[in-house]
Parts: sequence; structure tokens; C-alpha cells
Amino acid sequence: MTSWIELKDSQPVAVKMLQNSITRDRIAHAYLFHGPSGTGKHEASLLFAMRYFCENKQIDSAEPCYECISCKRIQSGNHPDLHWIEPDGQSIKKEQIEYLQKEFTYTGLESNQKVYVVRQAEKMTVNAANRLLKFLEEPSQETVAILMTEHIGQMLDTIVSRCQRIQFHSLSDHHLYTRLVDQGLPESTSKLFASMKLNVDQAIEMNGDEWFAEARKIVVQLMDKVMNSSEEGYLFLHQVYLKHFQGRESLEYGLELLLMWFQDIISLHLDKRDSIVLVDQFERLEQFHYVVSLSEAKTLIYEILNTKRKLAQNVHPTLAMEYLILQLQR
Amino acid sequence: MKILIEREPLMNSIQNVMKAISSKTTIPILSGIKLEANDQGVKLTGSNSDITIESIIPVEEDGIVNIHEMVPGQIVVQAKFLPEIIRKLPDHQVEINVDSDLNLQIKSGHAEFKLNGQDAEEYPQLPVLQTDNSFDLQIDLLKMLIRQTNFAVSVSETRPILTGVHLKLENDLLELVATDSHRLASRKITMNDSEQLTFNNVVIPGKSLSELNKILDETQETIQVSVTDNQILFRTKNLYFLSRLLDGNYPETSRLIPNQSKTVVKVDSKELIESIDRASLLAKDNRNNIVKLVTKGQNTLQITSHSPEVGQVEETLETDSIEGEDLKISFNAKYMIDALKAIDSDQVSINFTGAMRPFVIRPEEDDEQILQLITPVRTY
Repeated sequence: MTSWIELKDSQPVAVKMLQNSITRDRIAHAYLFHGPSGTGKHEASLLFAMRYFCENKQIDSAEPCYECISCKRIQSGNHPDLHWIEPDGQSIKKEQIEYLQKEFTYTGLESNQKVYVVRQAEKMTVNAANRLLKFLEEPSQETVAILMTEHIGQMLDTIVSRCQRIQFHSLSDHHLYTRLVDQGLPESTSKLFASMKLNVDQAIEMNGDEWFAEARKIVVQLMDKVMNSSEEGYLFLHQVYLKHFQGRESLEYGLELLLMWFQDIISLHLDKRDSIVLVDQFERLEQFHYVVSLSEAKTLIYEILNTKRKLAQNVHPTLAMEYLILQLQR
Repeated sequence: MKILIEREPLMNSIQNVMKAISSKTTIPILSGIKLEANDQGVKLTGSNSDITIESIIPVEEDGIVNIHEMVPGQIVVQAKFLPEIIRKLPDHQVEINVDSDLNLQIKSGHAEFKLNGQDAEEYPQLPVLQTDNSFDLQIDLLKMLIRQTNFAVSVSETRPILTGVHLKLENDLLELVATDSHRLASRKITMNDSEQLTFNNVVIPGKSLSELNKILDETQETIQVSVTDNQILFRTKNLYFLSRLLDGNYPETSRLIPNQSKTVVKVDSKELIESIDRASLLAKDNRNNIVKLVTKGQNTLQITSHSPEVGQVEETLETDSIEGEDLKISFNAKYMIDALKAIDSDQVSINFTGAMRPFVIRPEEDDEQILQLITPVRTY
């Protein structure tokens, strides 16, 4: 269980705001936590609920005790007055909001304090959201609603305007890196994932994924081919690369990895060794940076980004990749 | 924890608490039954968070020993399997053992079950009883109170507070009111020993009350009612029934009841129910189920209903007396029948205050403090 202090490392502003509202006894009736996934929204809502229900709370501290029955039951998901609403399939269904509405009209089971947490609140249908509005307009005493979303733009304005917005910023590369290393991932891999902005769960999953390990190897081989004028990157593309990277999502990962290589070449040109991501491939990088000049590397990055855009616009993947390889080939 | 218990009372207790347990619950722990052994006996708890039922098996009752051995403790067991297991056990005694790793062992005869339990600490904490905030009622009286008011609660969720029955105790007078804004049922009883206890704005969900009504047997025994901030507790000797309350302010209903009347009709309740029932046969298909009542000379009422597609019905009914102005009024037949049935009296008096105003039905011998109010339907 993370504490406020740990969370404050990564989310100083959000945590400070929440802590102040708790210690100054100015808890709003509705909060909207928004920010990318993996940024601690869930942890913050748990901590908030624990502090709200905690039996040993200290007035001047926002920390819950983690040990009383209420805190324990919140962690195990058994607290009767804390309600979680999660999308059931594609969206948050009408029945789920009806359940919530019924809960609004009842008193709490243990006390009159109640907390509702709606995860992925943008998945509420317009109908569901409008039903929720009524509660947000006339909150009862001692009831707190926490809405969480990754896409605040998809929320109804009428809902957003009735909540106190708390933004959760995406984690800095360095912060993510240390967290991944703490999770026991190898340093070079952690650095790679951190710069890909994966969240911790995704990173752990990727780390165990054989496909991804193979993908990294293939990209290294591709770099070897295109950086050497006596080799044919074009053939390699057809023989190996496209067989491994099938489907839009995996092609995106491939391009992401390629992008990393050229970013590192630029970093090397500028002598910014700290920001190099592919530390395990340092020798290759050094060799390549003699082949590709700084301005060339810049152009190639544009080409890669352009290829990404093309894929998003449904250009045929093989054609888009062929074009890119011809540009990359030295 | 360890108990050696008779199977029969255990089975009964489980069946009682199972009534509160719902298979679809959002809180995982509520899919279980809480077993608790302490000096008083074994207590079973089941809950769906709206209502909670506790059933107590005393160590000894009327000279019959229920529990032979006991080491105090508590555990939560999956409610899905426990009733079937206990029912099908071979012997009339059951031994239940719980170890420190929350494993539950059920032994009877040569059969032995091992079940995974859950920590009882995780179970919702029920409010501690405050006996000084309670009053006693006879069970059959309570059941009657529920029957006479609960049918009138609103079924629509647009005004959630109206889905409950409002309970008020003031100056030794207990009043129950239910309304769905088209009709209102009210019942008052005088309490003798409420010891200056007063409360107001206690609104019990209608669903909880019908559940309570089902569970209680028609007996003369007393039931203790305690009110806390967020729950109400009904307590018989071995069965506790808790319900959450509705949050919000119940509308002030006393102003709705007219205190004068222009037309008073006294009539035999049974005859009136039957004739309205007949008239409503044709009206039922119609959305509003409307019947029309017209006063005629010589103390007779005419009850008519017509539905353009089906046809019409007309009936005259002898009354005991009709006093005051002539009247033509239309109303929902179902509301009328419900109200008359709830009053449960041979002779009723109906007080009208014009065709557009709500009318009040009371038993003729007005010592029983029951009142039913119905708003008419505008038809012409």
C-alpha cells in the first residue's frame, strides 16, 4: 500500500491539494481525478477513502492509520459504505447508475459517511452521466464522490464543472525508471520502458513478453542492415521484420523502438550521454553516429513520425514501411 | 472457535438469515454468513447491506440444550454452500471447528467438510444497540401497521424518499405515514410506555418493511424497535432485523389532510369493495383504472365505469347515509380497493370535499386512528 508520502514524489501538486482539503476539513463533495493511466489516481482514491473512514485519524495529518478495521476493509474491498463503479464491458450501464442512485437515497450502513468512486468515468453513457448529475447537484452531507478518468475531454462539461478537478501528471522518465528498477526490471529495459511512457503494470507485462524481446532484437538487426551500405534493409524488411510486426499496434511499437535509436544518435552527437536510452547498445550507437550526421538523424526522425501518421491514416503498412526503409538505408 | 450444535436449530437459523443474503452483491464479504460464538450462544448474520438479519441460537432454550460445547470465536462462511451442507448432514449434531488460518471444518457422523472461511473482521460493523432509544410493540400489531400503510409507498424512484414509510413518535403517539403523492395511508397508535421518547423523520424503505412482514409470524409476543442515526432495529427474542433508512426529509403530510368535508358517505365496506371491483373490470385495461361515483337520492350511490372500446358498467349501491352536497367524482379503483382493504372495518365513512379535492376514508367507529386519503382523477 502506497502512502501519501510516496505518492507525493510523483504527484506533488495533486497530493498537496488533497492533503490540504483533508487537514483543513474542506473536503469537496465531488472530485474529478484526471490524468494518464498509471499515475496514481487509484492509489489516491484509496488513500482518500481510507483517511475518510479511518477510525484513528489524526486531525492534523492526512495519513490514514492503515491498521484499523475500516482501513483494512477498504484495502480488501469489503467496506460497506465505499462503492466502486467500473465499466461493465464497453460502458457504465444504466443499471449501475441506478444502483448508485438507490445508494444515494439510503443512509450508510455503518455511519452516515459514504464514498463513491467511479472509475473510467468517461465511459458513462450520456444518460448515465445525466442521472449522476442530479446527485452532483444536490449532494447529501458527508457523501463524497470521486470520478476518475483518463480522458477529461470526453466527460460532459456539466459534470466537470461540478467537481473539483485534480490533475495527475504523467510521470517523468526518471521517476518511472526508478519505479521500474524497484520492481526488479533490468536497468536497460527499465530505461526503454520509461521513455516509452508505459505504466508500471504494462511494463511488467511487456518485460515478460517474448514477442517484445524478439522485437527488440529484430530492430537492432534492422539498424545494422540500414546503417551498412553493403547490406539490404529492404530485403530484411520483407524477410523478417514484417513477419514479426503484424497489426497496427505492433508496428507502432516497432516504430517507437526505431525512434529511440535515432533519438539516441542525436543525444550522442550533442554529447548528452545521460539521456541515452539504449545504454546496452552503446557501441553500435557510437558506430552509427559516424554514419548518420546530426541533421540527417533529425530528418530521419521526421520520417519515422511521418510513417506513424501514415499508419494512423490507414496507409497500407507494407508500403509505409518500405518507404521508410528506403529513406533510412545509408 | 469450536461449536458442537444441534442440526435442527442451526438449520432454522441459517434459513432465517439466508433471506437477507443476495447472490449479486458488490461487496464480496456480504456473500457470506457470519458465524459468531460467544457466551450467549451462536449468532448468525446475513446481510445485503439494505437489510441485515441476525439469528441467535441460545445455548439452552426451554430446557432443551442446543449447544453442547463451545469455544468463542467468529468466522464468515460462503452462504452459497452452507445451507445445503447442513441440511444434508447425516447426524443430528454438527461439530464446527475453525482454525487460525480461517479454515472451517464441519463434522457430523462420519461426514467431514472443509471450507475456506473469511475474516469476520471484514464484515460490516452493525450499530451497537441503544436500548434507551427503543419502544415495544406486539408483533401482530406491528404486522398490521405495516399492512395498513406499506402498500401506499411510491414505486417510482423519482422521489426516492417516498419509497419509504415515515415513522414519527411524539407525545406517546406513534404515527406511520406512506404516500406516493396520489394517495396517502396513515395510521396512529397510542403508546403507553414510550417514556417520553420522541423521534421524527425516520423513513424506513418499503421493501425492508415487506421483508420484515414476511419474516415475522403472527404472534402476541412483543418486538422491540430501536432507532439509530442510520438504521432501525426490530428485535424479537432470537431474531434481529436491521434496515437502513432513507436519507432525506419526508414531506410534511398533515397539511394535506382536509379537516372539513362537504359530503359524507357512510357505507358498508365490503359491498363497496365488491361493487368497485366489478366496475373496475372494464376499466382495468384502461391506463388509469378509473371509476366514477355519483351520489343519487335516497342514500344511494351510483358507480359507473366505461371504456370506449369495451363497453360500460353501471351499479347502484345502498348506503347507510349520505349527508351534504351532491357529488360526482372519479378516482383510481385500485387505490380505493387498497385503501378499503387496509382499513379492515365493516362500516366506513368517506369524507369528500368537492370533485377536485382529495377525499378521506376512515372507519365509521373512529376510535381506530387510521386514515386513507385518495386524490381524485379529473375527468370532466
